[in-house]
Amino acid sequence: MLKRLLTASLALVGMFGLLGPAHAADPVKIGFSIPKTGLFAPAGPSQLNAYLVWQKMVNDKGGLDIGGKGRRKIEFVQYDDKSDPARAVKIYEKLITSDKVDLVMAPWGTPHHFAIAPVVERHKFPLIGNTAASVALRKVKPGYLWFTTPMMPDNLAKEMTAMLKSRSVKSVAIMYNLLPFASENIQFLMPALAKAGIKVLFEAKYPPDIKDMTGMLTKVKAKNPDAVLVYSYPGDSILYMNQAREVGINAKTQYVMVGPAIGFFRGMFKGNLDGIVTMAAWTPGMKNTTGSQEFYNAYKKMFKGHEPDYLDSVEVFVSSQILEQAIAKVGLDREKIRQAVNTMTFDTVYGKIKFDGVQNSITPAGFAQIQKGKIEVVWPKQRATSSVVDKGAWAK
Amino acid sequence: MSNSFKFICIAAVIIIPGSLSGFASEYMLGIGFTLFMYIALAQSWIILSGMTGYISLGHVVFFGSGAYVFVLIWGLVPVWLGVALSGLVVGFGAIIIGYPVLRVRGPYFVILSFGLAELVKNLVLINEARMYVSLRPVFGAPPLAQLYIAMLVLAVGATVLTFWIRRSRFGAGLRSIREDEWAAETIGVPVARLKLMAFALSGVVPAMVGAIFIMRSGIFQPGDAFNPIVSFTIVTMVIIGGSDDAPGPLLGVAFLVILQELLWANWPEIYMIILGALLIGFVLFAPGGIFSWLSKNISRGNKNAA
Repeated sequence: MLKRLLTASLALVGMFGLLGPAHAADPVKIGFSIPKTGLFAPAGPSQLNAYLVWQKMVNDKGGLDIGGKGRRKIEFVQYDDKSDPARAVKIYEKLITSDKVDLVMAPWGTPHHFAIAPVVERHKFPLIGNTAASVALRKVKPGYLWFTTPMMPDNLAKEMTAMLKSRSVKSVAIMYNLLPFASENIQFLMPALAKAGIKVLFEAKYPPDIKDMTGMLTKVKAKNPDAVLVYSYPGDSILYMNQAREVGINAKTQYVMVGPAIGFFRGMFKGNLDGIVTMAAWTPGMKNTTGSQEFYNAYKKMFKGHEPDYLDSVEVFVSSQILEQAIAKVGLDREKIRQAVNTMTFDTVYGKIKFDGVQNSITPAGFAQIQKGKIEVVWPKQRATSSVVDKGAWAK
Repeated sequence: MSNSFKFICIAAVIIIPGSLSGFASEYMLGIGFTLFMYIALAQSWIILSGMTGYISLGHVVFFGSGAYVFVLIWGLVPVWLGVALSGLVVGFGAIIIGYPVLRVRGPYFVILSFGLAELVKNLVLINEARMYVSLRPVFGAPPLAQLYIAMLVLAVGATVLTFWIRRSRFGAGLRSIREDEWAAETIGVPVARLKLMAFALSGVVPAMVGAIFIMRSGIFQPGDAFNPIVSFTIVTMVIIGGSDDAPGPLLGVAFLVILQELLWANWPEIYMIILGALLIGFVLFAPGGIFSWLSKNISRGNKNAA
């Protein structure tokens, strides 16, 4: 009898012991898809790593502040979308209807954002986008989706032209990848250049899986333009860096769109990357931003000395900060989060951000340049940490 | 094997999930959608490649072209008319393209079919860039439950079509091409016309599938719409299923789609490895496909019973 009573009371204590605190510390489940295989797999880590850094930074503080009513840790539910938008649709349906996550975060890339827009809309899940940029995003019905990126192609074209003018560039050569974002940039760049009186001496498009650029580059060299603008992705950016050096492209302004802001580029090209201008709007030491240095340090610590991608990782972290601040204000009610995101002004590593419809209405499109092995924001001037300098001669 | 068994096969794979549309969760409907999509694709592949022996590794060309035609006319015509038009345009295009393409035989046709899909993909890519169209989102598509039913209709339609052709004079002609094209031509089978008809017919269904798929994925991109993986998956499914008749691909598709989904949902990190190992095991231990394995074992069971 005594034994049975003892067992019963032990069981009871055990139950409360387990249930009580376990309930209070229930993690917040957040789901997303990541391209771990397929065409975009090389871009996946820039996003995933930033999510993981954010998770660790928040959990080290004790978890997400839920509307001032205690903290709960973050637990991620993630799936490989094989770089396929249709698979991403399926994943978000599964996350919401089958895995029953509390919230969702963004997948990688513009097409995936378009693909899942109807899913989050239907289930009323607010989603702060990152790594998506296209003027077509403005056609998304305002509601449950917002885009943090400042890199809208029309704004980029305007800023690019202004930067070229500030450097007295009279002529350019343009090469671009056939992938959507690059060709959209060209669509806005051409009229902007024409209006500014900048001559286009050479224009060529190339397929995403291009293996050799020497033919194009030889022609570019023969035209001797003041600036060479390459609207490229990481793979073809590597190709340009190697072959432009071989061919001897000596323009004082050389723009390589996506790639130079990713950490491994600096290890790969070292001094040769100095003077290259690229698409980025952030650097760890930036003033008037919130958490920049902390993010940079936490990232380097977590990934053994590797640096974040100054474009994608940063934008992903911005979207995480926005979600975190909205939850801190209103808790986990998704409808309230939606209202909060629509109305609040957020403090992020990009500086202050507020949404106008689906767009980030504060952060301007801009460029960075690698200077002495460091990435400096050089455009627009009000955000610049340094000014644009000439690209020096290639090291052999 | 009895016809009733074949009928049960068809009923099991199509009618049971079909009745789910009313109450299944969105996630389940999504899986069903994929299942029907590949049933329709595999059945249409059988019409050309299974029956005539002209193995196509570029079946995605119809799928992608249908999707492209559909996004071009998106918003201009009613949705379902657009789907039907995509099928018609691509079927008509197949007749024109098929004329030169079907003169090539054997391994050369395999390579040509693959090349054709890549060629069309790059033409679309260049055309889009020329028009400076970077992204073609499809806003305001019908809800999943409707797309699911539409895909079910296509899957049933393609299955019935294959079933019927297999038993028709047309199908007999097609199979005579596979067995010996020259001999068939000598005894008066109009091989050129039959091949062209099979080519066009096998293109119509995938084109409509492509159109519906684009409404599901919400965006058209040449790289996704003409993804060679789709072609390879179709061939894999048919091989796993076995047979040049309607039930074979049904079994193969059901097996691969459901297996992939189970593995993916439960072991997201390593599912591709497990899937690869299973496929190798399959080829080693059931080389004739599920269909022949089943018919062998069932006929043996029947004999034992008798």
